[in-house]
Amino acid sequence: MTTTTTTAPARPTEPAPTLTTTIWNQLRMNLQTYTLIAALVLIWLYFSYRTDGTYLAPRNFSNLFRQMTITAFLSVGMVLVIVTGNIDLSVGKLAGFVSVVVAYYQANYLTKHFDQDWVVMLLSILIGIGVGLVYGIIQGYIIAYLNVTAFIVTLGSMWLLDGAILLRTAGRTIQANQPLFSEIGQGYQSDNFGWILAGVAVVFLFYTMFRGRQKKRSYNFDLPPLPMDLAKVTGLSALILIYIYRVNNYKGVPNPVLLLAIVVLIMIYISNNTRFGRYAYAIGGNREATKLSGVSIQRNIFLVFVLMGFLCGISGVTMASYVGYGTISAGDGYELDAIAACILGGTSTLGGVGTVFGAIVGAVIMVSLTNGLQMINTPAAYQYILKGIVLVVAVYADVRLSKNR
Amino acid sequence: MTDGTDNNIILDFQNITKRFPGVTALKDVSLQIRRGEIHGLCGENGAGKSTLMKILSGVYPAGTYEGTVLYEGHELRLEKGAIRQATEEGIATVYQELTLIPAMTVGENVYLGKEPVEHGIINWDKMYADTRELLKKYNLDIRPQDVVKFLGVGKMQMTEIAKALSENAQVLILDEPTSALTEAEIDKLMDILHTLRSHGVTCIYITHKLEEFFRIADTITVLRDGAVITSQPTENLTREKLVHYMVGREMTERFPTGHHTPGEVVFEVEDLHAQDPDSSRAVIKGVTFDVRQGEIFGIAGLMGSGRTELVMTIFGEYGKITQGEIRLEGQKLHSRSSHEAMLSGISLVPEDRKRHGLVLMQSVLKNISLANLPQFSNWFSIDDNAELKASLQFANSLSIKAPNLNVPVDSLSGGNQQKVVISKWLMSQPKVLILDDPTRGVDVGAKYEIYKLMNDLAEHGMAIIMISSELEEVLGMSDRVMVMCEGRSNGILDIEEATQEKIMALATNIANGVTA
Repeated sequence: MTTTTTTAPARPTEPAPTLTTTIWNQLRMNLQTYTLIAALVLIWLYFSYRTDGTYLAPRNFSNLFRQMTITAFLSVGMVLVIVTGNIDLSVGKLAGFVSVVVAYYQANYLTKHFDQDWVVMLLSILIGIGVGLVYGIIQGYIIAYLNVTAFIVTLGSMWLLDGAILLRTAGRTIQANQPLFSEIGQGYQSDNFGWILAGVAVVFLFYTMFRGRQKKRSYNFDLPPLPMDLAKVTGLSALILIYIYRVNNYKGVPNPVLLLAIVVLIMIYISNNTRFGRYAYAIGGNREATKLSGVSIQRNIFLVFVLMGFLCGISGVTMASYVGYGTISAGDGYELDAIAACILGGTSTLGGVGTVFGAIVGAVIMVSLTNGLQMINTPAAYQYILKGIVLVVAVYADVRLSKNR
Repeated sequence: MTDGTDNNIILDFQNITKRFPGVTALKDVSLQIRRGEIHGLCGENGAGKSTLMKILSGVYPAGTYEGTVLYEGHELRLEKGAIRQATEEGIATVYQELTLIPAMTVGENVYLGKEPVEHGIINWDKMYADTRELLKKYNLDIRPQDVVKFLGVGKMQMTEIAKALSENAQVLILDEPTSALTEAEIDKLMDILHTLRSHGVTCIYITHKLEEFFRIADTITVLRDGAVITSQPTENLTREKLVHYMVGREMTERFPTGHHTPGEVVFEVEDLHAQDPDSSRAVIKGVTFDVRQGEIFGIAGLMGSGRTELVMTIFGEYGKITQGEIRLEGQKLHSRSSHEAMLSGISLVPEDRKRHGLVLMQSVLKNISLANLPQFSNWFSIDDNAELKASLQFANSLSIKAPNLNVPVDSLSGGNQQKVVISKWLMSQPKVLILDDPTRGVDVGAKYEIYKLMNDLAEHGMAIIMISSELEEVLGMSDRVMVMCEGRSNGILDIEEATQEKIMALATNIANGVTA
């Protein structure tokens, strides 16, 4: 049993693949993302056709994205929760509770004690985010350090927060319509600002692409073919420009959408480029191996739930501003929409797999379906039935596709 | 039984060969087992005992091996994915790790999947009555209504045996049945086996504790490197003969020569005692050793000897230390987690690479850097250039064979996966590197590279602790060898005085007979 061993460096010896096979391989590797985007385009085309174009007309197109923001804030946090192998059932009610608390203090204290609008707005935001954050800290502590299953803790939270909402509102609707505060959820950016944003985004996309290629080359990594990278970035840029063009034809970029875009970018950065993000994926991928690598499982799970609470705060503030009041049904069922968006976007309930980008695409698909079905006057009952079927079929398709890979 | 074959032979393995990618686990094994005997199966770790039993129990179905198994005179052909078929034929296995459902009662477990049913409703009374009868027949001292999780390990095993017998098992395979039992429970098990023999049940008994063979077995078969070395009645054998049969192997040119010049003592373990954190059972019962700079310190011992538990305890991830202490460079060490152990300068390449070493779905790069991210990051960002550079350096110096560092680690071969784990731990720049069975499931070429690397590291002054299941590896690589048995250190041998026979004798607790 003698084997000669070479100590050649880790370089492949296979012949260089042709352009078409590389593209094909790249497509297969990112199959899920492309399938999702294709599904989204199909949905848009279908409803456009059914509504004679009004579905994608500026007004509805603008509202479509505005509608999804509140649950999308929850989805991007939920991705990391699910990636670590946990679940959070309390997010809908927590966001709801935040919106109620914000409305309550705004109506009863802030508008009475402070004259300046911006102070009222700022304090409303701080209160809302603070409530979400504190709740996240408590919940994270119980889950991570006291070792109670996340499912149980957050299920309990759901009831607890439901009760808290009932107490705070006393069954009534509380106004939260201070003008400047309302801008958060209801306002729009000017057309010019929209175009500036689009310009910055496009430049940024191309810059990161070239920089990324440069870096990969300097380390001798496989480079995806340039035309392919170019096509990807050009496509994405086109989407941004089309979006800005469409919404500018209506009232401009809605504030909550801009806020969401910023949060999404930060969350993508956190999940890919920080230790915390890396650890989250590693914990979900193999908890024991991660632990034996000297990573504190407890601290990272704790932080995931704190971050989730923070995002619930943002979601709740936006909700209060968007609807203009706090009510007992605030946030009802949003947790399920948030989870569904993650799952549609390719997050694995087993942990370790899932992206923030995927979750956002999942959220867009969900809202596109709901909105479209409403526009063609589908009865509510059938909307629910369809949503349920779509979720299960999508996951089944994903299971099949990833098996064939 | 009527086709003219020997009526006394219940099982006849004929020329069994089983190949795995890269290894031949069984080479032309022929073995006969007589009806109603207790047949001891003996051999080093990896000798092929478990593989042979897995063929018999249907884990490796017909067609995945060469040769034939005759059972009761007819050929045993177990279909793929039908492990129940073996049970129906009357061949049952009592596994090392018990396969009971803890929350259910003894009766429910025994009749799981074959509950007596009337009109779709379980007849509980009949089930418990049948269980009671069965337990009585074989002298099993448990009650049908007891909930399994409240039973001791010994009684759980009885339940397992009862479950096998309830299927009218003719052949019972017991794989390391005593590894977790107390002395009293072992005595009880021996009684049970005698009862079984008197009822005509054939038992195949696998153990690492040689004295048990002499207590219970009628015949002993020794396997080594996948081949039958001998199969004889127990009365013809002695312990010394058995050990000789088990290890009588030549050293091959498989180990690179190292030039270690051990320096000062860096790492000391003194009279360490530790408990299993869940059951409070003592697992480490007094271990003392020290390791010098630039030394490879081998730990030998059979499975269940406490070697993995020992290093996991040192690494702060397993046992509760009840007595004794661990010192690194004279400083008392008190690691309560792998994080603290790492910071103080200890690295552990764990035994079970897939479970404890790697995040399989993630890339080579992410696996290498997982334990070392603080080196190139703050809380807000990771310097991925630095990460890549450091990881590439290790990947190249260990010659990890991968198209690039972004491929998922589970696409790599076992040897390369192991190199990824080693890279991860070398990057943390340890003073003491613990390798728990570093070449398990690794092909010969990669093994050689890992050995060379170990020599290299030792020459550069690192203290290395290596656990190994292969005696040759221990002898070929270590400067000193500690032999463990049942949670104790049975002695530390200098490499000049160590032989396979001596180590095996110490590992099986028969040292007195040999060295006297």
